[in-house]
Amino acid sequence: MITTPRWAAVQPWFSTLARLALGAVWIVAGTSKIADLAESVRAVRAYRLLPESLVPLVGAGLPFVEIALGLLLVAGAGTRVGAAVSILVMAVFIAGIASAWARGLRIECGCFGGGGDLAAAVEPAYATELARDVGLLALGTVLAWWPRSRWSVDGLLFGPTEDL
Amino acid sequence: MSKRGRRGAQGPGPERAREVARQKLAEQRAAQRRRTAAIVAAVVAAVLLVSAGVGIAIYNTQTKSPAHTAIPKGATAAGIVVGKPDAKVTVDVYLDFLCPVCKQFEDATGPTLARYVAAGTVKIDYHPVAFLDRLSAGTRYSTRAAAAAGCAADAGVFPKYLQLLYAHQPREGSPGLTAAELVALGRQAGATSSSFADCVEQKRYQDWVAGVTDLASKAGVNATPTVLVNGTRLPAPTTAAVTAAVEAAAKK
Repeated sequence: MITTPRWAAVQPWFSTLARLALGAVWIVAGTSKIADLAESVRAVRAYRLLPESLVPLVGAGLPFVEIALGLLLVAGAGTRVGAAVSILVMAVFIAGIASAWARGLRIECGCFGGGGDLAAAVEPAYATELARDVGLLALGTVLAWWPRSRWSVDGLLFGPTEDL
Repeated sequence: MSKRGRRGAQGPGPERAREVARQKLAEQRAAQRRRTAAIVAAVVAAVLLVSAGVGIAIYNTQTKSPAHTAIPKGATAAGIVVGKPDAKVTVDVYLDFLCPVCKQFEDATGPTLARYVAAGTVKIDYHPVAFLDRLSAGTRYSTRAAAAAGCAADAGVFPKYLQLLYAHQPREGSPGLTAAELVALGRQAGATSSSFADCVEQKRYQDWVAGVTDLASKAGVNATPTVLVNGTRLPAPTTAAVTAAVEAAAKK
C-alpha cells in the first residue's frame, strides 16, 4: 500500500470522489429501470443465461438493489462492503455481456433501462458496454482498497481513520 | 541479548507488563474491529436483500396472471390470428406499432401476405408487442396502440386498423397518437360503435399487451419486426424471403 504523506492526505478525497461517482452510476442505472420492471425482466431474459424461474427475480430485484447500493455508497455507509458488492455485481455484468457477444446474440445490455431489444439496423455495442463496466469495476476496486473518505457515515460512526 | 530480553527471562518487570497490556489492548481492538466489520457487512447485506424483495413484490403486484386478463375476440393470449384456421402455412409477425422497420415491412410485404391469406394458404399470427414504450415521451404509445388494435379485433376490423395505425405512425420519441385519434382511426376502419371508443379509452387490453410482450420475450424474440414461417425465423424478412419461405412451406 502506498503510504507517502502526500497520498495519505489525498486518498480520502480521492475515495470520496470514487464513492460519489460509483454511487451515482448505480442510482441512475437503477432508477432508469424501475419505471418498467417488465422491461427489466425482458432484458435479463434476453441474455438467455438464467433459468426462467430466476429471470423475474433478478429482473425485478436488481434495479432496487442498484439503487440501494448507490444510496449506501453516496452516503458512505458500509463503503468497503458496498464497493465489494459493486465489484461482484460488475463482474457478473461483464461476464454476461461477454457471453452474449461470444454467443453472437444481438441484444442491448439493458444497463440503463431498455428491454434488451435492438432495432433492426442497430449494431450491438458490446465493446463500449464492456469497457464501461471494466472502468466501473476498477473504481469499485479502488474503493474497496481505500474505503476511508470524507463526508461519510462510516467516518461519523467509526472515526475518520478507521478502514472498515 | 538485549536488555529487555534479559529482564524478560528474569521474570515480569514493569516494562514487560506494559508490553503485555499493550498487546492485549491491540488484540481487543482487532477483535472489536472484526466484530464491527461483520455487523456492517450484515447490515449492508440485509439492506440489499430487502431492496430486492421490494422490487420483486412490486413486480408481482404489477403482473396479472393470463387467466385474469381480458383477451380480444378472435385473439389468443399470444396474438391476433388473421386468416383461415386450417391454412397450411402459419406466419408469425412480431411487431411494435412505433417501430419504423415494422411499418416498412407492412408496406412492402403486407399486400403479398394479404393475397396468401385471401387464397387460404396462409394465416398470420400478429403479435403486437410493446418493446418501445420508453420511446414515446412517457405516454407508452406501443402499449396504447397495441391495446387499441385488440379493440379493433373485437370490432372485426383489425387488418384495416393495422394499416391505418402504420399510415399514421408517430415518430419515435414523440408522444404518439392520442386516445381520440386512435378512436378516430378505428371509426375510419369501420368500428363505429361506442363500445370501440370505450375499449380504447379504458385501455381494456393493456394487460393483454403486457402478456403478448412477455410471451414474445419468452419465445426468444427481442427485436421487431421478427417474422417466422411455420416456426422458422427469417433472418431478414424481405418480401422475397417471405414469399420463398411461404411457397416452400405450402408445397410440403
